[in-house]
Amino acid sequence: MSAKKAKLPPPAAIQPMSVDMRKLSRVGSRPGFLDYLVRLWDYRQFIFYDARARVQTGTRKDRLGSAWLLLNPVFNGLTYYVIFGMLLNTSGGIENFIGYLIVGIFMFQFSSGAITEGARSIRNGKSVVQAFNFPRAALPLGANIRELLSSVPLVLGMLLLIVVLPPAEKISWHWVLIVPALLLQFIFNLGIGMILARIISIAHDVTHLLPFAIRAWMYGSAVFYSYERFVHEPTLLAIMKFNPLFNVIDIVRSCVLYDRVPAWESWATLAVVSLAALLVGFIFFWRGEETYGRD
Amino acid sequence: MVAIDEAVFLDGPPCVVVDRVKMTYKVPSSIERSTSTRKGIRGSLRKLLGRENLVTVSALKELSLVVERGESVGIIGRNGSGKSTLMKLISGQAAPTDGAVYASSTPVLLGVHAALVPDLSGDQNVVLGCLAMGMDMDEIDQRFESIVEVSGLDSAIYLPMKSYSSGMASRLRFAIAAAVNPEILLVDEALNTGDAQFNDRSKARMDELRAQAGCVFIVSHSLDTIRNMCTRVIWLDKGELIMDGSSEETTNLYQEFSSNLSKGNNITAARIRDEARANLVATQIMERSSGRRMEGR
Repeated sequence: MSAKKAKLPPPAAIQPMSVDMRKLSRVGSRPGFLDYLVRLWDYRQFIFYDARARVQTGTRKDRLGSAWLLLNPVFNGLTYYVIFGMLLNTSGGIENFIGYLIVGIFMFQFSSGAITEGARSIRNGKSVVQAFNFPRAALPLGANIRELLSSVPLVLGMLLLIVVLPPAEKISWHWVLIVPALLLQFIFNLGIGMILARIISIAHDVTHLLPFAIRAWMYGSAVFYSYERFVHEPTLLAIMKFNPLFNVIDIVRSCVLYDRVPAWESWATLAVVSLAALLVGFIFFWRGEETYGRD
Repeated sequence: MVAIDEAVFLDGPPCVVVDRVKMTYKVPSSIERSTSTRKGIRGSLRKLLGRENLVTVSALKELSLVVERGESVGIIGRNGSGKSTLMKLISGQAAPTDGAVYASSTPVLLGVHAALVPDLSGDQNVVLGCLAMGMDMDEIDQRFESIVEVSGLDSAIYLPMKSYSSGMASRLRFAIAAAVNPEILLVDEALNTGDAQFNDRSKARMDELRAQAGCVFIVSHSLDTIRNMCTRVIWLDKGELIMDGSSEETTNLYQEFSSNLSKGNNITAARIRDEARANLVATQIMERSSGRRMEGR
């Protein structure tokens, strides 16, 4: 064995070789930001196919199949109705408290689901990342589109409950405004999901913290009660109103429950914060492009 | 060691340039170090965090290669010699610790390691895999039949992939990976996982791909495969380049080396290897940005 441990002799000679490198590009190198967006656009079919296929197969194990996409949120809402509306019977002075609660929980569920999925998309898709060479942003984007697709039955279930459960609300044209609100929420989810996806690919430990952070965020988003009842410090209240999720929930509640056009401040805050999150998320994610899927 | 002053001048652009690439891993080791330097609070903290012993493994020592169009390069060596690491670096699946790999187009690694999405059915995985390789839906529709044929899965293609046996799954992965005609093709061994029928089909598809590819890299433990398919063979040992020469010469010497090793003649084997290494002419890449020969040389 001692002979094996001995150092190898150096090579006999080193031959310099003049190579024309102009037509070559570095393997796995990260393209410029705009090129990256163009490449991502080229992979749109991949993104949509991935999202659609996974929505359909998500409930394949169940006997009722896709019906669960609608049944899940309905049962979820009914549970809150039984606990808060029938057992505790607390409204906290809020008009149509059950509706208030259902809107809060359902809209929050969309964001928490999308952000969690987006954040884990790189880790979960590691095998695909290692096998194929595509812009990695396709994975968090696909995860978010998947969540947007499954938010359709979620929102339908929410509206169904609001119409059926007492006090029943009437359908009005204001309900259309849910669509732009959801799109802005989607943009926000995507931005945050991309930031977290890169952080998690560096430090996987963050996945364990994610549920706690999301729960804390839920209590800070006026899902169960209104801010005004608990926060009396005006500056703190102003800061809390920057929370995009609070604005989404506020917008949807205005349209659906109170039949009024949502305040423009809510729209403005939501739009600015969402677009900023998307821009920061994309650039931050793109800068780590070469590192994904590698141990 | 002699440094040669006269540079070899390559006219056309090569397919692949491996420039001073080096690869080291840091992995936790379960060895208990008796003479641990990290005792006390720091030691226990590291234990608690589960990273007591990080060992640096050098998978590939500094290596430079130039591969031109039309070459098929075989890579041989014992287990752990860095063959698969080199393939991963060339295909871009792993980033080198140092140095860089340049290629004239995206290299495609044909292996059976490319895992897909277990919850989706085989046909959905075919579409997804092809889309991930940059094909569009029309192309996939055209190729779908032939992909299924290469995989030999027949109607099982419509079942979820998690219901597949490992052989079926690897056949499907091969068929998907082989659906494109890459300019730079990398083939990792372990293709002989299927039954004889599949081996024939995959070999036929491989031959087709090799004929169309600009350059090919093949890793295999079978020296016959390497001899039949390659024009140039690289011998790696423990991450070091030992020999880089014609297919016949390198495989013969390697065969002598490994037969001595299996007989237990470690010293003879090491001598063969050391002699090969002492005769090696290593490459140093000199980047040239103009197409013309540099003046004054």
